[in-house]
Amino acid sequence: MIGLPTMHLEQGEKRSFFPNFIRILEQSGADVYLEHGYGNRMGLEETAYSRAVPSVTFVSNHEVYQQDIVLVLRCPGDDDLRNLRSESCLISMLHYSTQPKRVRLLRSLSVNSISLDLLKDDSGRRLIENFHTVAWNGLEAAFQVLQDTYPKPGFFSPDRQAIQVTLLGAGALGAHTAKAAVRYGSIPLHERLARENVPGVIVTAVDYDITNHADIMQGLLSRTDILIDTSARVDTTRAIIPNKWLAYLPGHAVILDLCVDPYQQDKGNIYTKGIEGIPQGNLDQYTFTPDDPIYANIPDFVNIEHRRNVVSCYSWPGIHPGECMQVYERQLHPIMRTLLSRGGLKNINPNGRFFERAIGRALLSNWVG
Amino acid sequence: MSEKISIGFPIMREEPGEKRVFLPDFLHKLTGIGFEVFIEEGYGNSLDFYFDDFKIENPRIHPLEREEIFKQNYVLILRSPHDDEFALLGKNSCLISMLHYPTHPLRRKIIEENNIQAISLDSIVDDFNLRLVENMKSVAWNSLEVAYAQFEKYIPNLIREDRTAWKVFIIGTGMVGKQAVNAASKLGKKERNLEHIRLGGPGAIVTTIGRNIAYHADQMIELLAQSDIIVDATQRYDPSKPIIPNGWIAHLPEHAIIVDLSVDPYTPDSIPPVVKGIEGIPHGNLDQFIFEKDDPNWEKTIPKIIPTTNRRKVLSCYSWPGIHPESCMRHYGQQLLPLMRVLYKKNYHTLSPDGLHFERALFRARLDSFLKRKTD
Repeated sequence: MIGLPTMHLEQGEKRSFFPNFIRILEQSGADVYLEHGYGNRMGLEETAYSRAVPSVTFVSNHEVYQQDIVLVLRCPGDDDLRNLRSESCLISMLHYSTQPKRVRLLRSLSVNSISLDLLKDDSGRRLIENFHTVAWNGLEAAFQVLQDTYPKPGFFSPDRQAIQVTLLGAGALGAHTAKAAVRYGSIPLHERLARENVPGVIVTAVDYDITNHADIMQGLLSRTDILIDTSARVDTTRAIIPNKWLAYLPGHAVILDLCVDPYQQDKGNIYTKGIEGIPQGNLDQYTFTPDDPIYANIPDFVNIEHRRNVVSCYSWPGIHPGECMQVYERQLHPIMRTLLSRGGLKNINPNGRFFERAIGRALLSNWVG
Repeated sequence: MSEKISIGFPIMREEPGEKRVFLPDFLHKLTGIGFEVFIEEGYGNSLDFYFDDFKIENPRIHPLEREEIFKQNYVLILRSPHDDEFALLGKNSCLISMLHYPTHPLRRKIIEENNIQAISLDSIVDDFNLRLVENMKSVAWNSLEVAYAQFEKYIPNLIREDRTAWKVFIIGTGMVGKQAVNAASKLGKKERNLEHIRLGGPGAIVTTIGRNIAYHADQMIELLAQSDIIVDATQRYDPSKPIIPNGWIAHLPEHAIIVDLSVDPYTPDSIPPVVKGIEGIPHGNLDQFIFEKDDPNWEKTIPKIIPTTNRRKVLSCYSWPGIHPESCMRHYGQQLLPLMRVLYKKNYHTLSPDGLHFERALFRARLDSFLKRKTD
């Protein structure tokens, strides 16, 4: 039995799996339970699901969390998690490394889980990811802001300098980001500016370790138009760019937050974003001016003195929900088929076939930390 | 399954520096699936593997002469056989190799004329058109490892006296370019980078651009003038024109190194003609991939009409992953194993576009599938 809850998060979070994907789950041997109202924010009525899968059952929020397997893209809040049954399996983007409280809660509930962000192949490549969309949606939003803030002769002028993008982190997300950045995060804009002979974009990438060298970073920041954080820090108690360094950025610069690490306090440790003092956005609001009231909500332990325009969203792919879910569905298909056809987690061999090994790597029970 | 499914492994007859063979562990896993494995006599000697290293008392691994190897149900060879070797393939054999259908029309024609069942490793793609058998990472990391090693010969731990950061300029942001950004930012080798960090080194600053900067001469020359390493990772729409004309090379610092990852050959007589993205640099292989400015072989691979006046040290290799052959083949073995499971149960003709994940990917890589897509 598998339950798919609605994501009760910000209003802008519209994503749900499509009826065709629910049919795949059913064909793989699952009894499917959907929360009442599932898919509504994507414009899908319950009848759309019932037509595709006549056996589907609509249940309450509480009941949907009572199933053997619960599949939901973003991790639910703690109250919902407490509805999970002992020995059940939660499948979601759980980000064990940056969410120690969540890990403790799941363990205390005797829930096992598969973290979608840790499903990887033998060479370490993520099987469930949408870095492409994270990068392109984020860059599209950042360049929209820069069009307004860019000083004379203006963003669209052939006489302006090339746009300078500074990229923190050069891993998988950074790679997609570099590609999106040199194309302004928008192919039509890229083509238009190329046609009009407007100078393009130069991306300068630094591994986060170089950021220990203040003199080098200050030089880079002083000529940066867009500063992007795509880092995957091992130690999230240390910012890469302390707030005081933001003073070196030109006034028109835009900060783009693609890794959306949270500010947290846990067991005496303080966890911070890679760029200190920027707000965390979501699908309801992802652009912030320096005087946005959201700064009042940032925890006191964070220095917020120096500010620039910020673009941040916890769920960048969710900006285009339908396209996003199609990508995830195709990636999840073989994983869910493997899990359901084996009769659930208890029959998954972490040393077995390709997709079983991938599941094994993503299990909370195998997570050390 | 009553009929035994056989797979043959011929030796690659390429430059002496090409040492790659599929590793014993992979062959044993194939026998675990059920394959009868045949390896050409002498297979693996290039990596100091001998028949006993493959055999290890496995009754399903056998030695065989080259001609017979090509007659097995499947013939697996990483780099394509030469044009005159296709005739060796058996009537019912299926060739699995890097065949590069789109860029090798002549090879494609020979395969078609010989009615060969062919699956091209570089065409095995998933539903998102991502290659399942590829080693772009090694292309980027191996080449940049070699590039930084050139400097390391005279700059211990890559920390210069003035403690300036290394400046790497990467042209192209495609599959290889993306990996190159990561590799360049970590000095081409993680262990080297960690030691560099431990000693307080300044690291590397990597700059990358797309096409709308590449055509601005002033901007390009400014970037070239401050680069320690430049990397060509472009996939040009028009391969008849270089991105960096030979004259611009003069603006690079004397110590700068040029790294060629695109490894486009010079074929000025083809239609359209193809030149390298950086004009006037030599085309290397596993026998020689480092070219000093005064290298006697510099002009061997460059047609006379191409200017070569301005030179810097060049790193170019047709098969960058082959620099670390065992690691490369371990990687390919991992990627191939789930595909081989499918090929044990199915064959060239029974693969279906509606099958499961790996079967769909294999279906797309058949020559017939490629030709159908082309005519559609």
